[in-house]
Amino acid sequence: MLRISLKSAWGHKRRLVGTALAVFLGVAFLSGTLVLGDTLSRNFDQLFAETTAGTDAVVQSPRSISGGGPDIEQTGFLDADLVDTIAAVDGVAAAEPSINGYAAIIGPDGEAVGGNGPPRLGGNWITDPELNPYRLVDGRAPEADDEVVINRGAAEDAGLEVGDTATVQVPTPLEVTVVGIATFGDADGIGDTTFTAFTLDAAQRWIAGDEGRISSVLVRGEDGVSQEELVDRIEAVVPADTETLTGAEVAQDRVDEINSDFLGMLRTFLTMFAGIALLVATFSIYNTFSIIVAQRTREMALLRAVGAARRQVLAAVVVEALAVGVVASVAGVVGGLGIAGLLKGMFDAFGFALPAGGMTITATAVLVSAAVGIVATVVAATAPALRASRIAPLAALRETAVDRSGTSRARAVAGAVILGAGVAAVLTSAAVGGDSVVLLAGVGAVACLAGVVVAGPVVARPAASVLGLPLARLRGMGGVLARRNAMRNPRRTSATASALLVGVGVVVVFTVFAASIKTYLTDTIDRTFGSDLVVSAPAFGGAGIDPSLAPAIAELPEVADSVGLGTGAAVIEGDERGVRYGDPGPLSQIIDLDVTEGSLGELADDQVAVSADAAEDEGWRLGSPLTVEFIDGSTERFTVGAIYEEDTLIGNLFVPRAAWVPHAPQAMDNAVYVSLAPGVDLEAGKAAIQPVVDRFDGPDVQDRDEYAADQTAGLDMMLGVIYVLLALAILIALMGIANTLSLSIHERRRELGVLRAVGQTRRQLRTMVRDESVLIAVFGTVGGLALGVFLGWGLVQVASSSSGVGVFTAPVARLAVILVVGAVAGVLAGVRPARRAARLDVLDAVRSD
Amino acid sequence: METTTAVVAGAERATKVYGSGETAIRALDEVTIGFPAGRFTAIMGPSGSGKSTLMHCLAGLDDLTEGRVFLGDVDLGTLSDKDLTVLRRTRIGFVFQSFNLVPTLTAAENITLPLTLGGAKGDPDWIDTVVATVGLGNRLKHLPSELSGGQQQRVAVARALATQPQIIFADEPTGNLDSRSGGDILAFMRRAVDELGQTIVMVTHDPVAAGYADAVVFLADGRIVDEMADPTAATVLDRIKSLET
Repeated sequence: MLRISLKSAWGHKRRLVGTALAVFLGVAFLSGTLVLGDTLSRNFDQLFAETTAGTDAVVQSPRSISGGGPDIEQTGFLDADLVDTIAAVDGVAAAEPSINGYAAIIGPDGEAVGGNGPPRLGGNWITDPELNPYRLVDGRAPEADDEVVINRGAAEDAGLEVGDTATVQVPTPLEVTVVGIATFGDADGIGDTTFTAFTLDAAQRWIAGDEGRISSVLVRGEDGVSQEELVDRIEAVVPADTETLTGAEVAQDRVDEINSDFLGMLRTFLTMFAGIALLVATFSIYNTFSIIVAQRTREMALLRAVGAARRQVLAAVVVEALAVGVVASVAGVVGGLGIAGLLKGMFDAFGFALPAGGMTITATAVLVSAAVGIVATVVAATAPALRASRIAPLAALRETAVDRSGTSRARAVAGAVILGAGVAAVLTSAAVGGDSVVLLAGVGAVACLAGVVVAGPVVARPAASVLGLPLARLRGMGGVLARRNAMRNPRRTSATASALLVGVGVVVVFTVFAASIKTYLTDTIDRTFGSDLVVSAPAFGGAGIDPSLAPAIAELPEVADSVGLGTGAAVIEGDERGVRYGDPGPLSQIIDLDVTEGSLGELADDQVAVSADAAEDEGWRLGSPLTVEFIDGSTERFTVGAIYEEDTLIGNLFVPRAAWVPHAPQAMDNAVYVSLAPGVDLEAGKAAIQPVVDRFDGPDVQDRDEYAADQTAGLDMMLGVIYVLLALAILIALMGIANTLSLSIHERRRELGVLRAVGQTRRQLRTMVRDESVLIAVFGTVGGLALGVFLGWGLVQVASSSSGVGVFTAPVARLAVILVVGAVAGVLAGVRPARRAARLDVLDAVRSD
Repeated sequence: METTTAVVAGAERATKVYGSGETAIRALDEVTIGFPAGRFTAIMGPSGSGKSTLMHCLAGLDDLTEGRVFLGDVDLGTLSDKDLTVLRRTRIGFVFQSFNLVPTLTAAENITLPLTLGGAKGDPDWIDTVVATVGLGNRLKHLPSELSGGQQQRVAVARALATQPQIIFADEPTGNLDSRSGGDILAFMRRAVDELGQTIVMVTHDPVAAGYADAVVFLADGRIVDEMADPTAATVLDRIKSLET
């Protein structure tokens, strides 16, 4: 029996190619994702293991405050005197101060070098080579305050060589000379991060903000002293408000941080898309085997009539599926290596460069992706086989031209119930909103999808009938036939279209969500853009603007007022929170925050302003005392001096710059808002301000429209990445349509022969097949659009009530493009089956002897 | 074949060879034949005699190795695939043994299929006449799967008649039917010739079916071996027996 199955699979190889290709692509995507994740993870592991190999212990501040966003995390400082204390400990061979902070290298185009995410690091050059994770590959270490070493990746991006002068922002722009180029271990850098190393003195002044401050002390032990022993000895002499870790722990911490923050997200993100591709592939497998089994059922019915067991029929199909699954999955795992490379290239192209290094292929990645592919194939093939094996042998022998199976009342009811429950769940979560209903909304979305798939065969007939009406009207008999063909086997039409529906649905959800965020951003900017012009740092990458820029702009005669706003985090009344800081006077002049109590303009240095929402949540009133703990460890008491309604721009807490800066080194502005003097138009204002900004190597001056476009540009880029990732799922769905049609044509060859014999031209036949393909594609696309818009709406409602982000927007033009692309894709999917159909020999089809 | 009427279709030295060299099979061997208008001709012969091949070539579904087939004054060998298709649609009718109908179209739609494929309306009076002759009554809106085998073949014959073709080719039209339904179909075809003035060529191996025809042509090993005018089932059966000995 096994031999018969394998032989049969080989005999049907042409029909199975489409299925195998779908499995192959899905598995390749999954294994590519896993391999890429493992490769990156191992590269980082090795990099950190290697670069911290010489470090036996690290003394650092245990303090770390985050809030207001994922990018905002501040760590505390240590007293520089600790270095000598630690160096004197018995067993310490060397102790070196280390300073970590921000420094951006300005490239030849006037923009900061680096990608769209990785930080721009600055610090001191550590003189002990065993403690320094960086290794000089060219030049020498910095000796003067205006000399720096930069990492090789940054040097290549900026086109800098040893001896060149360059500008580094800390955030004050500094003229420096590059005296050395270094690698992080063997790598050009930590991913796309940039690194600038100053002398200790310069780093303390520019980055730590105080000559007596350092970030941490790196310690190398003498031979024979274990890391744990060393930590114990150091802990005995350092103050209680420090923490001492072994070198191994620090390396592990960094690896964990990268794994959870960056790699974890990347893995989840990519796996999600691999999952979608595999889901779509599953529909294709299910469909192919449904048809193959249906065709086989007639052969098997004869066998069963002469005594073959149902089990044997089933086993034959499962073995065939297994063969396809194994072959395609193994090929997919191999192909995954290529996909991993492609994915990496794609991220590079979109500006999220990932660290390089050889491929890491783990047994887990191989086994998981192969297993998923094989199991998906077998499961998707078993369902139709089971169903077919239940058909009575004689019923199977009967020729059924129009298959009404799959349109049962039970199916309609089940589909409606599941879909109804899903819709209810989404509506409920949209109405309630907030984080608590995210799970409910997710379950609802899955139920909606399941309901649509279950009810699909019931809907397929009427849907194809309605969507096909224009075809029947415009295309004459061929159109009528295409419409009837799409209607004749609702289960098949629906399963084929479902694959596309899933793909298009996901595309639409993202499209709607992105459009909604865009609307929200634009609305917010419209509402809050009280100023005439803005100088804004990029949203990602931690780049900043020198706080002296705003006062310098304010001095221009064309400018009425100018204010810089910065972001930080502090512990307020025991809770870590994001904070905005700036000068209250100019702020109140430029931006209307809808102050309801107190006065923003007259906010004293021992006062803070809070949003009405925060005031209500925390029970704060005008005059309420607030204790604020800063990152430098000091605590100060403030009172609430103003309460405002409009919190989109400055968040829940505003602290006067004068109160913030003494506690925060490298206080940078994210944006500078400018209002022009009366009578100065935007262009004249821009022209006046840009030279000042250029002196600080800041970004371009923007008016409202430019700013809005800039703020939403990242969304389009992200959407671009997502479209590319989803293209694979759509491709698999289209291959599914082509495959189903080819199988249908094989099944209908006698009928096509009759059509040709009584006068259908080849051209008419091709058009008819393509039209059926278009009809199926449009059915799937329309379903995907409807489902996607609804789920997108639900998602936006849930997100907007939990985080305030998003105003539901259905981008009509873009959705129309998706519909057209769906229809065109249908034409393309139909090309090959149509050609095959037209090649059919009329005689073969009608010959009766 | 004695006839006073014009020949509407036929073959001249039609030869069809399958394969080549030693294994070549001559399915048709220099067959020359003409089919008179307004007549019902049966082609008979044992399996492999070439009767189906002859019909397929006459209908433009297959091409000859040598010789020529014609319909009216058109040499089918000179036509492109597209022209042949249009010719089949407008000037030839077909009835096959089975799978005659497009399963997604109703009986009525199947009948008018050759017309609608060409975007033509046809002659409504003629269509009405044909439909009335089929005698399907209220089953015209039914799909083929809802009709009996005999009813399906009646629809197939009606479809062949719908375009008022110059000639209708029927390939074992009763081969899959019981004798009563088969008799219905043959009577129907007979009426189409007598009352509607159609020309029909039918391939069959059934002497009873051949008995409905005006003339019978006997084929064996790709050659015409005999002809018979005004046949009956009994005379045909006798002739077959004599040919076999």
